[in-house]
Amino acid sequence: MFYNSLFENLLKILPIFLFLIFVTPVVLVLFSLFYEYSENWFHLYNYVLNEYIINSIFLIFGVSFFVLLIGVLSSWLVTYYDFAGKSFFEWALILPLAVPPYILAYTFTEIFDTYGSANILLNNIFLLDDKKVFFPNVRNIYGAIAVFSFTLYPYVYLVSRMAFINQSISIIEAGRVLGLSRVGTLFKLSIPLIRPAIFAGLALVIMETLSDFGAVEHFAIPTFTTGIFRTWYGMYDLNTAMQLSSLLLIFVIIFLVIERISRSKASFVSSNSLYKKYNVIKLKGYNSIFAMLFCFTPVFMGFILPIIELINWTINYKLDFFNKDFIESSFNSLLLAIIAALLCTAISFLINFSARLHGNKFLSFLSSTLTLGYGVPGLILAIGITQLLTFIDNYVQFFHFNFIFTGSLIGLIIAYIIKSYALSNSSIESGFQRVSSSLDDVSKTLNISGIKLMYKIHLPLVKTGLLTSILLVGSEVIKELPATLILRPFNFETLAVSAYNYASEERMYEAAAPSIAIVIVGLLPIIILSRMIKSSRPGEALW
Amino acid sequence: MVKKISLSLSKIKHSYNNKDFILNDINLDVSEGEIVAILGSSGCGKSTLLRLISGLEKLNHGEIEIFGKTVANRDFSIPPNHRNVGLVLQEKVLFPHLSVIENVKFGIKGKNIFRTKKALDLLNLFRVNQYVNSYPNNISGGEQQRVAIARAIAPDPQILLMDEPFASLDEDLRMDLRHETKKILNNNNITCILVTHDIEDANSMADRIIKLKDGQIDD
Repeated sequence: MFYNSLFENLLKILPIFLFLIFVTPVVLVLFSLFYEYSENWFHLYNYVLNEYIINSIFLIFGVSFFVLLIGVLSSWLVTYYDFAGKSFFEWALILPLAVPPYILAYTFTEIFDTYGSANILLNNIFLLDDKKVFFPNVRNIYGAIAVFSFTLYPYVYLVSRMAFINQSISIIEAGRVLGLSRVGTLFKLSIPLIRPAIFAGLALVIMETLSDFGAVEHFAIPTFTTGIFRTWYGMYDLNTAMQLSSLLLIFVIIFLVIERISRSKASFVSSNSLYKKYNVIKLKGYNSIFAMLFCFTPVFMGFILPIIELINWTINYKLDFFNKDFIESSFNSLLLAIIAALLCTAISFLINFSARLHGNKFLSFLSSTLTLGYGVPGLILAIGITQLLTFIDNYVQFFHFNFIFTGSLIGLIIAYIIKSYALSNSSIESGFQRVSSSLDDVSKTLNISGIKLMYKIHLPLVKTGLLTSILLVGSEVIKELPATLILRPFNFETLAVSAYNYASEERMYEAAAPSIAIVIVGLLPIIILSRMIKSSRPGEALW
Repeated sequence: MVKKISLSLSKIKHSYNNKDFILNDINLDVSEGEIVAILGSSGCGKSTLLRLISGLEKLNHGEIEIFGKTVANRDFSIPPNHRNVGLVLQEKVLFPHLSVIENVKFGIKGKNIFRTKKALDLLNLFRVNQYVNSYPNNISGGEQQRVAIARAIAPDPQILLMDEPFASLDEDLRMDLRHETKKILNNNNITCILVTHDIEDANSMADRIIKLKDGQIDD
């Protein structure tokens, strides 16, 4: 009885405690705006800040245009039309999610550079003596737009596809009878109806674009993230780096708010609950070829091409794939992934259980606030956590405690948990939603409550959600670059850091092994996502 | 005066799997301005018949003519947006992102001032003019159905197709709406095919009642 009430009280405190740990790094960064501004800040302000802002805005507009074009049209095609390869594209269009933008950037430069694989291949095919250059330079902002568009469009594809699948057929049919053509229904009904969902996906893409460090750094494009990194590691001015981070954070918060508002409005998309079988139209001739090519291009550019190039690096250069460094960095990545995934899943499970057990709206509010962590760029989190750990180190040394938190794995794990909590929460929350509240009531009458209720009833019932959470978080951790780069202990290499280090030294072929490993791990969530979409339409299975 | 045939169905056969025919040899002529009720139990094929007439479903066998023009046979099918028919369904299919007046204006062609005036006239006729700027989610089920009928009539369809339009309404509302709809259809000389399983709907609305059983007209 005593342990039970202790457990229930601990459950009430846990979310508040975690909330403080999650929020403090962000608050510390924002607080820097009130610090004194150094000479470096005025240098940045006078000479490069404009460039950071203009480049970031240009990137956002370019990437938004292409992800909307690719994501919405491809999801519309695979939902409403039948054409050559449709069943392949339904899931293949998500594949580029497995390739982080920095890896696509590494492969794009090696493919399209003057002496890149594509130019060499074409010169060999056409037996050209002069080394002709067929492709434009990609090491610029246009190349970065292409990289982000081809890796991030699946966010828009996924939300649009889910929204199209759940769209009321009767509304579309009403539009047809009222005089709209098929294309007309897309622009006048389908897209306006799913607009909130599209905005939510687009906001995610924009946040990822703003947060990226690896790709823009490889292309040497001055943006906020590269500026923050250079200010910290080049000028050794953490204060100015934090002030710069605050500006980026304000940008990100705006898009986070847009994303949240859009998600809350997205519910009206499926307000009409008529789930009839789709009249999927069979495309013939040129139309079928056009649809196939339209869907194939992003899959090819975002997944097939980089994979071919990575395999090319590995095979042609006879790399000792499983060398000591690779095994060591794989082990480190795996270790971090397992620790972070287990902890994040356990925390998310306990918070969701606590919110359900106590029916407490405040706890639910805390949980949904914690999910905002995914939007905070890894670089900013790293800066905030470093500040927090430095403060803790000073504090514990005062008590002669012999442990230094800064530079330990603790900061890294905190960053991963903050970044991945939303992923974990979404799988576990949906698991809990499927467990009827009557089960809790019945359990209470059988004298099962508190900790017993948790491990006898809820734990077995949401175990699929727990497993999904572990896989999703683990895969995300292995891909994460900027936070790992800054917070890792000295000489602690992970797959992402190895790939970055090799690429930054232009030792691209050696980057193949860690890059391939990251892509393979990145495929895990895609398998899960495909399964989730398969079972998403109520009434009748679409596939 | 001999009235024109507005809708002609000849030898309509339809199946979703090429084996079990949901409609089997349907022949029907409907005169201009006539209201025909098709009565039948669930699954007898009456909704499928409406979907074939509207062009939402492709015809397997037979021929459909609207005012003497073939709109569908086994070889070709004019798409629904070129058939000039109106459709009202049982479930609420107002566009949720558009206001009431925008819904009614949706299918009307022409200048905006003309479209607005026509939509307002229709909303007035169906006594929902006070909800012009409201959104579908903010008005009652009965009001939504009035707007849905107004929207279907707004583009001046040659034929109005109604699939259980009053089924989700309570009894008082049903009586009111049947009466109003019939009056408007008669005044505007609109041909209507009403599909229902409710004998009351059929009796109070229709000039002629046809029973459909196992995919065939039951004489």
